[in-house]
Amino acid sequence: MKISDFIHGLAEELEIESRLTANTNIKDLDEWDSLQAMVLISYVSEYFGVSLTGSDIHEITTIESLITKIGPERFEQE
Amino acid sequence: MGGNIIVTGVTSGIGLGLSTALLEKDCTILGIGRDISKLQRQINLESNKQFFFESFDLSDLGGIEELINNFISAHGKIDGFVHCAGIEETIPLSMYKVDKVRRIYEINVFAAIELLRIVSKKKNSNDGASFIFLSSVMGALGQSGKVGYCSTKAAILGMVKASAIELAKRKIRVNAVLPGIVTTPLTEKLFSELSEENISRIKDMHPLGIGEVGDITPVITFLLSNQSRWITGQSLTVDGGYSIQ
Ligand SMILES: NC(=O)c1ccc[n+]([C@@H]2O[C@H](COP(=O)([O-])OP(=O)(O)OC[C@H]3O[C@@H](n4cnc5c(N)ncnc54)[C@H](OP(=O)(O)O)[C@@H]3O)[C@@H](O)[C@H]2O)c1
Repeated sequence: MKISDFIHGLAEELEIESRLTANTNIKDLDEWDSLQAMVLISYVSEYFGVSLTGSDIHEITTIESLITKIGPERFEQE
Repeated sequence: MGGNIIVTGVTSGIGLGLSTALLEKDCTILGIGRDISKLQRQINLESNKQFFFESFDLSDLGGIEELINNFISAHGKIDGFVHCAGIEETIPLSMYKVDKVRRIYEINVFAAIELLRIVSKKKNSNDGASFIFLSSVMGALGQSGKVGYCSTKAAILGMVKASAIELAKRKIRVNAVLPGIVTTPLTEKLFSELSEENISRIKDMHPLGIGEVGDITPVITFLLSNQSRWITGQSLTVDGGYSIQ
């Protein structure tokens, strides 16, 4: 999956109204709450087979930091 | 107690603890699970002549009958059956596509019904046998991300009541046990996905604290035994008080 597709898919799953970019801090989003965290965990698990833990979620800020957690090498070139 | 008992989910958590307890009560066990290495760490399969392990994926619903028949041909009819195999998952409703729903139903519900169908046949079980299904407090309550888990565990409660009536004429009893959170690999996985704050909130919701496998197994052995001979079709909650609040 390319990073742009990942961000696009994530915005859809989280049903985000505003534009999501690599620099967006997900925790600043109006929609962000514990249910959104659950959607994020499931989305990442489904597409990357990576299980984010509770402390991973705690540490994540921007989409970029999320990509670092998942492992940038797992993404295809744009 | 003695007797031939089938236990699914025997390689881990409640099924493993139960098998250890049943071996001490002189039962002969057909244990079903997949990963034998987890089992070998706890039970010496070489020296335990009354424990028969079958590595079997219960989502292979069509193969269950042969598995049970082979055991019965060698050891005789069944006196008890406990379905501990189960999967737990947290998936938001928006991502719960039908293939995922089917997967959790296969183990938690369809395998349970197929095992019950086979084991309850007159040629396969003795009159007065006892069948126990692991539901969960989540079978009676709800939680976000648990549409699959809660609905499979609720299905068990309906199945138990209907089959208890159907099998009563042979004095066969069917009951469900609904545990609250008990420390096993299943809950360790669940907790790994949660923040410290959420974990301590869940712990606080159990007035008697979180349970151990040993808090559940005596209830199951009681339900298997003749001492519970007038109890059938029941949903027995064992949850340290979680559901009373
Ligand atoms: N622990 C709790 O807090 C809790 C609370 C309420 C209800 N329960 C219920 O109690 C039961 C036992 O839970 P547990 O905590 O002991 O779970 P666990 O430690 O995760 O063990 C689950 C068992 O199910 C077996 N299993 C899973 N999928 C299987 C498959 N496709 N084919 C064959 N076997 C399969 C596993 O075998 P392998 O690993 O070898 O594949 C393992 O032996 C479950 O039904 C659970 O829903 C547990």
